[in-house]
Amino acid sequence: MSIRKKMKRILTLALTASLCSVMTITAFADEPYNSYSYDAWEEPIPSQSAYRITETITGEEIGLAQLRDPSSPYFVSEDAVITLSGAKDLFCDDDAREFWIADTGNNRIIRVNEDFKLRGVYYGVSGNSEINVDAETGLSNFQDPMGIYVKTSAYTNEKIVYIADNKNARVVKAKLTVQNTLELILEYTKPEEALYTQSTFLPSKVIADNAENVYAVVTSVNTGAVQFSRDGSFTGFYGANRVEVTAKVIAQTIWRKFASNAQINAMERNVPSEYNNFDIDREGFIYTVTEKGNTSTDAVKKLNSAGYNIWNNNTGNEYKFGDITDAVWDSVQNKKHNIMLTDIVVDRQGRMNVLDFETGRVFQYDKNANLICIFGTKTSTADQRGSFSQPNAVETLGENVYVIDGAKNDITVFTTTTFGQQVHKAVELYDEGKYVEAVPYWNNVLDRDGLYTLAYVGMGKASLNQERYNEALDYFKLAYDRDDYDKAFKYAREDFLRDHFTAIIIIIAVLIILLIVRKILINKGIIVIHERERI
Amino acid sequence: MYEYSTIGWLKHCIFHPVEGFEDLRWKKKGSIPVSIAIVVLLFIAQVVDHRLTGFAYNENYVKVFNVVPLLVQSVVYFITWVVGNWALCTLFDGEGTFKRIFIYSAYALVPYIVCTFLSVILSNVLIKDESIWITAISWLGLGWSVILMVQAMRAAHQYSFGKTLVSMVGTVIVMLLILFLAVLLISLFQQLYVFIYQIYTEILYRIRG
Repeated sequence: MSIRKKMKRILTLALTASLCSVMTITAFADEPYNSYSYDAWEEPIPSQSAYRITETITGEEIGLAQLRDPSSPYFVSEDAVITLSGAKDLFCDDDAREFWIADTGNNRIIRVNEDFKLRGVYYGVSGNSEINVDAETGLSNFQDPMGIYVKTSAYTNEKIVYIADNKNARVVKAKLTVQNTLELILEYTKPEEALYTQSTFLPSKVIADNAENVYAVVTSVNTGAVQFSRDGSFTGFYGANRVEVTAKVIAQTIWRKFASNAQINAMERNVPSEYNNFDIDREGFIYTVTEKGNTSTDAVKKLNSAGYNIWNNNTGNEYKFGDITDAVWDSVQNKKHNIMLTDIVVDRQGRMNVLDFETGRVFQYDKNANLICIFGTKTSTADQRGSFSQPNAVETLGENVYVIDGAKNDITVFTTTTFGQQVHKAVELYDEGKYVEAVPYWNNVLDRDGLYTLAYVGMGKASLNQERYNEALDYFKLAYDRDDYDKAFKYAREDFLRDHFTAIIIIIAVLIILLIVRKILINKGIIVIHERERI
Repeated sequence: MYEYSTIGWLKHCIFHPVEGFEDLRWKKKGSIPVSIAIVVLLFIAQVVDHRLTGFAYNENYVKVFNVVPLLVQSVVYFITWVVGNWALCTLFDGEGTFKRIFIYSAYALVPYIVCTFLSVILSNVLIKDESIWITAISWLGLGWSVILMVQAMRAAHQYSFGKTLVSMVGTVIVMLLILFLAVLLISLFQQLYVFIYQIYTEILYRIRG
């Protein structure tokens, strides 16, 4: 074979190969939404996806078919419901790496492992309860369990399950037995104290702190969460929202002065809106979300044990949560969305995920309330993976985020992309104050998204730490971070003055000498100034 | 009495707020080219303030730069001030001519312009903790200019102090009226333009058949 022929062959091969690669159709599953973020001007800007939808989990994937299988240990009956129905809450037990699902529509609690394989189904609790007792099994059955919280007791080292049993008007505190059943410890029912003025007690969410004080969000109680002590007594309300002072509220207060009693009764009352959901972190801070709140007032609060809001915008800081514009226009459905933050979850690193029910978006923040990323949607057709119909609850395990949908009856699993992983690593180091260590990660982030504002702040702080002030100034300028720029500028100016001190002094001295010489020359009459030009 | 160069007269007016403008009037001095230069400088000061203020201090929306609002804030406001003041004070025994009001008002603006430039320079040198100096200088410039403006209008129209103040408040109201009418007129002409343009396209379609 001649060299020429060989060349020809290689060329044809190369051509075919390149043609093939051109002709392949790039088929990939994209997220049904565009990732975005907010810039320093609080305007939405496109961003990279930090999360990818890996799977959606329905009753089938969980293995609920076992409930109908007589040979299975989880057998219930031949006609047991094998799908989820209107699930209202999802809880992740970090230590055991297990999930608990409040399967509200089916009046049961489901326990699964981290791969969403069935570990247990609970229709009720055993023990001496008189509420809704099933004559056949002797269990006190749940009715619309809307909230679930699981915690290993610090006193007895047992796994304690708290259930907001909505229709039964009680909060159940039960322990998980070795036989994989729930055994009642305590029932928290409607407080009889005069302080509790509502006629109903319909708990929808529940959490417990390290001392096993139980906090319950109760429907139509707007004075905060109802708080019970460990022994079951009612101790008061915790962390109420404020009434936002708007023009409407002021006008109403004035009208009340002139209105008759009948008119006053007909008026809308100025009461704070009840909060919708909450979560507790490892240090005992309670995070609340309010659906009716707007971005500036009480939408997300971080409460200390005294019920004081740490993220208070009135103290000069600015914390904003959810979509920053009050109403988001949706071109697909042709309607305006208002913000309706429905669930919040705080993970071990202090990262928060806030779920917006209206838009189906999950907003992820670091522990200092800096926006990390936004993902999920409701706007495109709800049939697609990653777009929700009734996103009811959000949970995290490690870096993954899980959203449970009460209408599609599934759980969507979001896992991080490379971009997301780099951001998380960088933010983690950044929040610990390890600015310099975070730089390589920030560089990776910026390679993928050059508009990521927090990255420039991080790089700037690293430069500031390393005393490279001019570089820090450039980064803060890119991030449009005025306060940090000011701090860096203070040092940059000091440096500049120190380096050029002699030059500055010489210039000033020369100027003074010139002025003196001029004055002397004028006085001696060597320079003549015309009277008209003197002033 | 005094004999000054053109710039000398400007200096005299600025540093003698009490009788400076009276002297200017007595001597029939004051230069139109200098006044025009001051108005142009006012516009430049607005642009500089918007673009070159130190990064830590600049809270303007600098993502896009639009010169029209700045032009309106400086030149258009100034011209409406002069027109409004002239229109009002001619009716109320003011002795000021249009030219005189223009010159005197422009002269009175100089401290404000100078202090704007000064605070822009300082904002590039000072940090936030020292912002008191910048605030002080901008207020100094504004206050000085307001005092000069009162004196200028008093000298121009030969009013008493009280009447000057009333006439100035009146001028602001007249300015609002003028601007309102101007906006009205512009939108009217725009509609007229759209109307004519529609007729034009209509005819065009008919001709093409």
